[in-house]
Amino acid sequence: MSLTRREVLTLGGATLAAATLVPRAARAQTPRRGGTLTLRLWDPPTWDPDLTISYKTHIAHTFTHSRLVRHRAGPGVAPGTFPVEGDLAESWTQPSETTYVFKLRRGVRWHPKPPVNGRELTAEDVKYTVERFLTLKGNANAYMLRSVDKVEALDRYTVKFTLKEPFAWFLDMLANPMAVAIIARECVEKFGDLKPAEAVIGTGPWMLEGYRPNVGYTFVRHPAYFVAGLPNIDRIEVTVDEDNASRTASFLAGKYDLGWENPGIISRSDWLQIKDTLKSKRPGLRTLEFPGNVGNHLSMRVDQRPFSDLRVRQAMSMALDRKALIDALYEGVGVANPPGVPVALKEWSLPVDQLGEGAKNFGYDPKEARRLLAAAGYPNGFSGSVCWATYGSTIVVDHAQLVVKYLKDIGIDAKLDTKEYGAYISTCFYGKFDSMAFGPQTPFLDGDNYLFGYYYPGEMKNQSHVNDPVVADMIVRQRRTLDPAKRREIIQDIQRYLARQVYYTTSVGQVYTAVWDGALKNYGPNLGYDYGGRLLAAWLER
Amino acid sequence: MLRRYLALRLLVAVPSLLIATVIVFTLPRLIPGDAVQLMLAETSYAKDIDELRAKLGLDRPFHVQYVEWLGRAVRGDLGESLWTRRAVVDELAQRLPVTAELALDATLIALLIALPVGVLAAARQDSLSDYVVRSLAILGLSVPGFWLATLLIVLPAIWWGWRPVTGFVEFRADPLGHVGQILLPAAILGVASAAALMRLTRGMLLEVLRQDYVRTAWAKGLAERSVVIKHGLRNAVIPVVTLLGTQLPQILGGTVVIETIFGLPGVSRFLFDAINQRDYPVIQGVNLLVVATVVAVNLAVDALYAVLDPRIRY
Repeated sequence: MSLTRREVLTLGGATLAAATLVPRAARAQTPRRGGTLTLRLWDPPTWDPDLTISYKTHIAHTFTHSRLVRHRAGPGVAPGTFPVEGDLAESWTQPSETTYVFKLRRGVRWHPKPPVNGRELTAEDVKYTVERFLTLKGNANAYMLRSVDKVEALDRYTVKFTLKEPFAWFLDMLANPMAVAIIARECVEKFGDLKPAEAVIGTGPWMLEGYRPNVGYTFVRHPAYFVAGLPNIDRIEVTVDEDNASRTASFLAGKYDLGWENPGIISRSDWLQIKDTLKSKRPGLRTLEFPGNVGNHLSMRVDQRPFSDLRVRQAMSMALDRKALIDALYEGVGVANPPGVPVALKEWSLPVDQLGEGAKNFGYDPKEARRLLAAAGYPNGFSGSVCWATYGSTIVVDHAQLVVKYLKDIGIDAKLDTKEYGAYISTCFYGKFDSMAFGPQTPFLDGDNYLFGYYYPGEMKNQSHVNDPVVADMIVRQRRTLDPAKRREIIQDIQRYLARQVYYTTSVGQVYTAVWDGALKNYGPNLGYDYGGRLLAAWLER
Repeated sequence: MLRRYLALRLLVAVPSLLIATVIVFTLPRLIPGDAVQLMLAETSYAKDIDELRAKLGLDRPFHVQYVEWLGRAVRGDLGESLWTRRAVVDELAQRLPVTAELALDATLIALLIALPVGVLAAARQDSLSDYVVRSLAILGLSVPGFWLATLLIVLPAIWWGWRPVTGFVEFRADPLGHVGQILLPAAILGVASAAALMRLTRGMLLEVLRQDYVRTAWAKGLAERSVVIKHGLRNAVIPVVTLLGTQLPQILGGTVVIETIFGLPGVSRFLFDAINQRDYPVIQGVNLLVVATVVAVNLAVDALYAVLDPRIRY
């Protein structure tokens, strides 16, 4: 079943209800120090946060590193919303549209390890981190702070950012665990870069104690963490577990405290298989459902025929039976995403039924699709190729095959051109293909990445090669609009416009089932990599 | 005589090993497309493509690269892992004991099952026990190791909320826990080999037991144990030893899946990760190690022939 707007709102309402009820209960309890939390995470491909786009690295750093600002976490925060609060920054001001001044907390200590040995963090550390982030060759996420013109340490505890132009999402970028984990210059100088595990030294709530590739790693409490009394949990034992049967068995046996997939969820198909067993094995388990932010779409070369013809793009979108896709892929529980911002980002996304004139492009209408193709000069359809990678996921495989099947139904003979994951990421994922490409997309936490990245001319992730001055202008305008309400209006206008243009054939996405042990208190699941942030104030009652 | 035989076998092993090194060195370079370009796009092994080519030694002619690599390999230098930045030899030294222990235990379990059961089935040909054993052997050959492993992990978790130990338990830290952790994956790996070995042991022993000299032994009134084990098994076991030699690559191949399922940090898992990470020095190093091991085991098998049957000489 696809989620209607009403259902999404109900889901959101339920979430909010849970969010507002639980904190009172949580507040009534006294936080308890100690205990060991067990998690399934991943081997980071590298420990250097600036040299990878991998969630496997960025998740690990949320335990060990701080950022200037962070997303508020806990049961009071509704999944899909990301209020920003200070992390290392005690406060900040915005003297002009292009200037931000952050006052750092005093007495923030690095982990007591060489070469920093627990020295105090200063504004120079922030300046060094941001400059490295922006200038390091090989940092594919550097674009997130491209608006920064310069960063200055005004004094020991004050950092000033000057932007090249107004950028309303600046704080959201700083808060995103994909970017700017604050690092120490000495570590880079000692190790050459931050690739080895020994270089994982931050000011975060936990310290990396030991890492054994393919086996796991341990985080232990940072004794001098800058928020007194936190974190509550003493140890976090991480297991690297690359086999799904093994993970399932471990979870059933109570060896993992959170769902084993990012972000602490269990996939719908696995969940349906084990939920009844879990009722008897782990009766205290808690769950919460919310739409996921991994969008799936078919991108196409809209700068070339036949995809330059709007009627062809409309036909392709109408060819997809999104309800049937949700039934087939997600056991009937999923979301049909609008173009641009996915449903999951509830503050910014416009549901499909509010897309206005363009909404019709998202309904299943193969007859009209064939008529549009014929009108565009393709009465017998056309042939093309779809570059994709399996991601080692049967769901992605099924998804790609079903999309191709639906295209075939209206006469588009799309051959799947399977690439090895690495080859796919370095080519088709960045728009280097001749016809079409299909796959899951990066799960961002802000509206801008979904719009600027995929629709602004010349951007790396502009897979469809969109070059539309109208949409480019609107994207820039929303970036310069600091008032969230006005920005939301522009973003909704963009989505309505994109619905008419269908530069990507947007498909369906999952509804996540976040699962956590009943002994874990004051925990609130959310989208994103910030495991450390979500566990910071949580505690264990076993 | 035996010494000369072994020396000759050793001599024959050298060209085999050399050919294998050429293949190990060449294969990664035959991957379609510019692998270095892909590596640079996916990873952060170097600042630019020229630096990465130089780092991998790809900026020189192929034969020069090969000779240099071989020269270093002979001196025990397999280069540095692009992923972990540690010497490949050090990485292997850390991981080899896990895989070696797993493979040896699997082989031992296979032998412990196959020989007595095979002998029993042959000595009691066409009895109920023979049929049961043969049926079990077919089952053992048919059931894939990964499926068996999955069942053995998932079912106890569903029934009793128990699963085998996760994470690697060092022998030094907990000897019993370590043995307990290795035993199950080793048994799973050993089962398929045991089935094949058992069937061959039975077949060969049946053939030997029909020989004239065995009939003579029976006629002399020797005890069954003496006839079957001393006169029969020793002569039947040479093909079994050959099969055991060929089983090793199969067991090593099986360790990739088993190490992943059971979370064991062995060489096979390292190879799997290295392929994902396009860590070519590691891929070459591990493949060289595997090839060298297989050549060495085959050499040992050949040597064992001479011990088991003094008539075998070059």
